Order: sequence, then structure tokens, then C-alpha cells
Amino acid sequence: MHNDYIARGVKRCSTTRFLLWITPWALLLVFGLYSAGLCLVRGLNQTNMDNRFAFGLWIFLDLTVIALGAGAFFTGFLLYILKIADLRAVINSAVVIGLVCYSGAVAVLMVDVGQPLRAWFTFWYPNVHSMLTEVTFCITCYLTVLMIEYLPIVLKNRKLRQVPGFLVFEFELHKLVYVLAGVGTFLSFFHQGSLGGLYGVLRGRPFAFREGLAVWPSTFFLFILSAAAAGPSFILLTTWMVEKISRKSLVRPEVLRLLGRISGLLLSVYVLAKTVDTLVWINRTSPGSGFPAAQYYSWRPFGTWILFAEIVVFGLAPALILLAPKLRARRGWLISAAAMACFGVALNRYVQTVQTLALPTLPFDKFLSYTPSWQETGTFLAVVAYGVLVYSFSFRYFRLFPEERELRAPVHQPEEELELVGRY
Amino acid sequence: MFPWNYGFHWSAASYIFLGAFYTVLVIVVSTVATASIRSRRALRSDLADRIRWESNFHDLPEHDRACRHVLTGEFKSRECPHAFDCRECETHPKLLARHPLPPVEEHEEDLFGMSFPLDRFYHRGHTWARLEPDGSMTVGLDDLGRRLLGTPDSVELPAPGAHLHVNGTAFRFRKRDADVRVLSPVEGRVIETGGPERGWYLRVQPEPLDVRHLLRGAEVRPWLMREMERLQLALSQEGAPTLADGGVPLADISAAYPDADWDEVCGEMFLEA
Amino acid sequence: MNAKRYGMSIDIDRCNGCGACMVACAVENNIPPAHAGIDERKGLTWIRVYKVDNGEDYPGRRSAFVPMLCQHCGEHTPCAGVCPQQAVDIDPRTGIVGQMPERCLGCRYCMAACPYHARYFNWFDPAWPAGMEQTLNPDVAPRMRGVVEKCNFCHGRWHAAKERAAAAGTDEIRPGDYVPACVEACPTGALRFGDLNDPASDVSQDAKRPESFRLLEKIGTDPKIYYRSRKDWVHEIANAPRPGAARKEADHA
Repeated sequence: MHNDYIARGVKRCSTTRFLLWITPWALLLVFGLYSAGLCLVRGLNQTNMDNRFAFGLWIFLDLTVIALGAGAFFTGFLLYILKIADLRAVINSAVVIGLVCYSGAVAVLMVDVGQPLRAWFTFWYPNVHSMLTEVTFCITCYLTVLMIEYLPIVLKNRKLRQVPGFLVFEFELHKLVYVLAGVGTFLSFFHQGSLGGLYGVLRGRPFAFREGLAVWPSTFFLFILSAAAAGPSFILLTTWMVEKISRKSLVRPEVLRLLGRISGLLLSVYVLAKTVDTLVWINRTSPGSGFPAAQYYSWRPFGTWILFAEIVVFGLAPALILLAPKLRARRGWLISAAAMACFGVALNRYVQTVQTLALPTLPFDKFLSYTPSWQETGTFLAVVAYGVLVYSFSFRYFRLFPEERELRAPVHQPEEELELVGRY
Repeated sequence: MFPWNYGFHWSAASYIFLGAFYTVLVIVVSTVATASIRSRRALRSDLADRIRWESNFHDLPEHDRACRHVLTGEFKSRECPHAFDCRECETHPKLLARHPLPPVEEHEEDLFGMSFPLDRFYHRGHTWARLEPDGSMTVGLDDLGRRLLGTPDSVELPAPGAHLHVNGTAFRFRKRDADVRVLSPVEGRVIETGGPERGWYLRVQPEPLDVRHLLRGAEVRPWLMREMERLQLALSQEGAPTLADGGVPLADISAAYPDADWDEVCGEMFLEA
Repeated sequence: MNAKRYGMSIDIDRCNGCGACMVACAVENNIPPAHAGIDERKGLTWIRVYKVDNGEDYPGRRSAFVPMLCQHCGEHTPCAGVCPQQAVDIDPRTGIVGQMPERCLGCRYCMAACPYHARYFNWFDPAWPAGMEQTLNPDVAPRMRGVVEKCNFCHGRWHAAKERAAAAGTDEIRPGDYVPACVEACPTGALRFGDLNDPASDVSQDAKRPESFRLLEKIGTDPKIYYRSRKDWVHEIANAPRPGAARKEADHA
């Protein structure tokens, strides 16, 4: 009986309907794996990347997905270290999202590098001064931590927890979850930052180059802030989407509003920091490299509108909306602001990866453009499909939303029993 | 990665970087190792049942974890810190000394037509335990439990000689889509098994004999009132009329609620998350 | 032996865009032939001649050719600092920035870091048609698919020169003994190679000329390639803050 595997007290659709939902995503995954397979077997000439556009869609995707998956570590930090108990409602979902985002990013990276079998070289001969080494180490460790954090969610499955070994192991592991949350926060702080540092240290790309603190350029800290802001927003967004698709109430509205508020707070700090950083860059850093900032925006289509969009339209605006309690209380405003915040962070990652490479550096260079090939797009879609499949599977068989049970709306309100209640 | 690798340089950056990496690695590995070792120890010491209950208890909604002294009015609200195992509680004997239970004259409580004889102890998971003259204890389902069970589709009893723990699994049953374990009120060895037809389920040799955690006497009525409230809440989720209009619960409650999620209702009442 | 700093001086006024340097480089370094359908953005051209013009229309239009290759940056070498596997090896004896293709993961971070676009990726599996393997240079290892490569001042020739010097019983390479393929092939003598630390060498003297300049000096990479030209408009382009200003289009040879 399917009941044996599905948690008590929650309703899930029939197996047939579930398979119907899964099938298109599975097909997309197959297509995506084929695309990735082509790139692995025939080489990266299957992509539209070239010597000028060394990084393309995949790197942009990796950075965005890791920023959005930051909700996993941040929610863990807020719940297990700062003890904000309300977030218990979404932590399991956040862990699954984080796992999906990070494992997807690592999988795409394995296709993106020219020699995936040499991936261990970074560990064996690390260049401790390179930001990419830092990213590699931290992301690998963090993915391990996420897999360990996912394990209790799996082991609490109704059927699996019958096995005494699984039950006991899950129980003992959960007692130590705060250690994992702490390690996760430490690792995430560094790899989110290093992803920003990747571009901030590029002396040869004055568009991306920033001054900073010791070895860390300002983009290190900006990326951490923007990831911490995007994470809760993305959890908000996905929770809302899952509620819509499953037609169930999964969390109390206060939890969503809390996520919005956290996101809004961090987003405001980020926008402030980013504004200061941009002003310093325009007035000092970039001219110091011999590149007045205005000239970056004279290459169409990257006009100043993109800077304005990134900081004001998709940065300041959602921050203000999320900070306003009256607007936060309205579901439409809350979700739109969260979506805008996520989009703003994606835009920032796009600017850092694609715009940096599109802009010429040599005086006699051309501005070049790049469109991903279908193989690249296919691989990207494989990650999306993989994410949906893992999440769907987890949602069906594991308890991702502990409040779901309590939120099952009673059809009749038991009124008369108030007389029975007496002193209770 | 290691000093003997080609290209390794001893520098401040290497110390910090590799130091941090190895520290993180050690922490993560030792966390998993600690959990594994503790698990093995727990399994070897036969603590699986106790852990299962603690895990279950942790997953119950807050209002279902109320201390027994909330039932009798000594607290407005208090969450049981010992997963309903009052044997370990320091507050319980103190409260008993300060507010001893008043004696009850009746032999049994009659609530909504259900009978709860007071010659026995009750467990919050709707089992009762009665001390027999020969020192053994009989374990059965209370009247509400029986009516929730109705005529079960199957009952899985432990074998004679099996060891039971307090708040461990006494037996399991299936009814419609429900698949529930029933909590054991006593600790000991199973001597004999009964069944729904015999009015009792297990005869147990208690090891040791300790009933401090079980409800008795004047506690039973307030507890049952609250349980009926909980049952109504659980049933009302299914869109069925409530019991509060004075109806008497049937011998098989599930027959009156054919659309109800019986798994959910039983899980709620038998305290299985 | 004193540490040398090998560099180049390139006379833009002498370069006629013949491309002999590009061919010589490809032959010396076993560059595989391009695959069918490849475009110029995916090719392997360790040295590459760019054409620039002054943006005027006829009859005022003037063109010049700028050979671009790895600048062997001496300070804050962008590629060396960023490689996660330490596949970039700066030789302290020569100042040459070398690439270890066997160590390279193919992450292309160095390519993003290099402002001179001097690094090239093997997008394809190298393949030589039957018979062409006889043209391969036995002293240079071909690279595999998925790794980055770039000019290394024909480092193999430096090793050969050192062996000859050792055979002759000395430690020092004679200046004319070690010359990269592009310099050797240049018909106009626009490319000159030598030790920048040696005040007597052509290169260090060229570097001190008033009309010499380096590209992207303000970034602070301390490149070892010194370009020179007597034409003002060439200097203007090279120093233009706005790369490729609308009137001045660049073409690649």
C-alpha cells in the first residue's frame, strides 16, 4: 500500500498521478543527460563558448544556483545557532533545495571543465592563493555536509524508520545537527564569498576588479550578503510554488512573512554595501586601471540600465517591499518581491560572469556576444529537471513540511466542546 | 595537499587554508562517527524502542505533549520534559506531595457511554495495566482504544518471552488504512498473549514493577475529557459531524466515518506521529 | 648564473602582417590543424597578428599590424595567481610564464583572468591527417583536448640551448642561440627577443626608447613585451581608454 511509505496525516496524490507529473521531467532529464554526454564525449566544442567567452551559461548557472541554494545554510544557521524556532517549518525543504542546487552545480562543473577526471588535481596540488581552489574545497565539503543533513530526512521516512538501525542513527545524528549547521555556515560563508572573489581579484578585468580587505576583494563580502538575502527569498518562492502545485497549505503565513523580513533586511544591507562599492569602483578603482567606468556602459546592450536594474529595480525595490509589514502581509506583494530579489541576484551573477567577459580589454578588441548552444541549454535543463525530480520525490515520501499536518483545515470547527473544555 | 606533493610551499596561506580544510574534515567525520558509534551502542543496549518513542514524542504537536499535571490543573501549560516517563521526573513526586490526588468513590468512570474501570492504571496511549494477584500485569486497550480499533483487520502481537519497554511497542494493528503501533504501559517479559476477543492483549511479568508514570484515580476523568476533545478535532478534519451533540460512540467508530483518514485518527490517538 | 628576464620588443611599424610568425609558431609547437567548421574564436593561435587602423576613410586611412602573444607578465601575473592546480609555472631563471598542460584541469579561469587574450583552449581533440604526423616537432609535446595552452617563448628551444652550452662546457647561453620560432621567422625583423636584464641586449635598449610602450600598463602586470611605433595614431589607439572606439574597428588576421 502506498500508505506505508507516505507520512501519516498528509495526503498525497495517487501513484499514477505522481508518475504523470514525473514523466515530462524525466524526459527532460534524459534529453539533458544526452546533451551533457555529447559535451563529455565530443568535447567542449559542442558549446558556443570560445577563447573570449571562456565562461558561459554554465558558470552563470552555477553561481546563480549556489546563491539561491544559500537558504540551506542560512536557515540552518538561523534555526540551530540563533534558535529562531519558526524556521523549523521550512528547514527540511531548504536542505533539499540546497542539496539539489549544490549537487546540480557540481555536476555541471564536471561537464564544464575540459578534463573532469583531473578534478582531484585541485585537491592534490592546491594553489592556496587562488579563489577557485577555495571554492572547490568549500563546495565539496559543503556538499558532503548537505548530504549528511539530507540523510535524516530520508531515514525518517515512514517505512525506513521501522529499521531500528536507521531510526537510532537518525536520532543520534539529529542530536548533533547544530555541529553540521555550524560547519555548514562556516563553509558557506567562505565559498559564497570566494565565488565573488573569483571576479574581484581579476586585475586583468577592470570591470570586475575591486579593492577590498586584505586578500579579499569587496565582491567577496557582497556575494555573501546577496546570497544570504537570496536564500530566504528563494525558499519563500519555492514554498509558495509547492503550495500552489500541491494545492495544500504547508507553512503558516507568519513563517513566509518571517522569511521575507529576513531577506528584506539582508537585501537592504546588501544594496547599501553594493552602492558604496559601485561608487568607489566608478570613481577610484576602475579609472586607476586606466578604464573610466562610463565606457563599459557604452557597449550595447549593456547600458547603464543594467546597473540601475541590478541595484535599484531588483535590489532596492524588493528590499523596501519586504521590509514594509503591510506589504509583507499581502501574499502577492511578498511573492513578487521575493521573486524580484532572486532575479536581482541572478542578474548580479550574470553581470559578473557574462558582461565581464563580453567587454573588451585590449584597446583594439571587439565587443563580442555569445548565445548558448542547445547542448549547453540542454545540460542546464537537466539540472532543473533533476531538481524537480528530487524535490518531488522528497516531498512525496519524506516530511518536508512539519506544519503541513496542523494546517489541514478542519471542515467543521468543533464549537460545542468549548463547554467540555472547562479549565483547559 | 600534503607536504610531500610537488609544488607544496610552506607559507602562512598554506597553514591557514589547509589547516581549515583538515579541521572541517575532522569535525564532519567525527560527527558522523560519533553518531554511528552512539547508534551501535544504543542498538546493542536494546535502546531502540526507547529512542523510537523519544523520536516519536518529539514529532508530536506541542499540545499533545502536555504534562499530566496540566490535566489535573496544577499547571496552565507545561510540556512533558521526559516523554511521558514520569519515573524519571523530579517535579512529579514534588507535585504529588503538594497536591495529592483526591480519592474517588466510583469504581469506574462513565464518559459518553464508555467505561473506564478504576481498578487499573491507564497509559496515555490508551492502554491499561492491571496488577494481578500473582504479581503479573495484564495489559489491554481501554474502551476508547477498543472502539477506535473496532474489528481490526490484523493484530500483530509479540511472542511470549519478548521484552517490553515502557513507551515501547506493545503490539501493532491494522484497520482500514491505519497501521499503528500501540504503546506499552509496562516494562517486562511477555508471559502470555491474548487478543481483541479475550478483552486483554498481553500478560507481562514486570521487570521492574513501577507504575508511577501511569494515570490513575482522579486523573482519569480530566484526561479522558481532553482525549475526547482531541478525537473530535481529529475527526472534524474529515468533515464529519462531531460527537458533541450527545451521540454515544459506537463499538466501531470507524464505521461512522467511512471517509476519514483512519490512519491519521489512530496515529493521533495512539500517539504515533 | 644570473636570473634572466626574457622579453620581446616588437616594432609595429615594421610588421607587415604577413603572418609568418603565426605559421612558424604553429609548426614549432605542434598546433593541430583546425577542425571543419571551426571559427576564429575557437582556434589555437599562440601568437596572433591583429590589424588596427586609424579610423579615417580613404585617403587618410592608415593600418598597422600588432602581433599579440603572451606578455609573460612579471608582476601580479594574472593567470598564475588564479590557477587552482598550480599549472602555471613561472621559471625564476628565465622569467618565462610556462603552462603545464598535463596539470591543467581545463577550468579556463586563467583565460578569464588574462586581459591580453593570450590563452587558448583545446576545444577539440587534436588530430593530424595521415602523413602530417611527419611534420611534428619531436621536441614539443602535443596537448590533449580540454586543456589550456599558450606561448612559452619556445621553452623547448631554451632547454636545447642550455644543453648545447653545457656540451660546450659553459653555463651561459649565447644570446643568439636561443630564439623563439616567431622571432626567427619574422622577415622584417619586427620581432626581437632577448634578456631584459642585460643592458647590452637589443631588447632592453628598445624598451628604453621613448616610442616604446606596453599594453595595459596601468593594470600593473609588468608585461615583458615592448611595442614601439613612431606613429602617433598607433600610440593613441594603444592608450585609448575606450577599447575599440566606434571609429576604430579592429580586425584579426
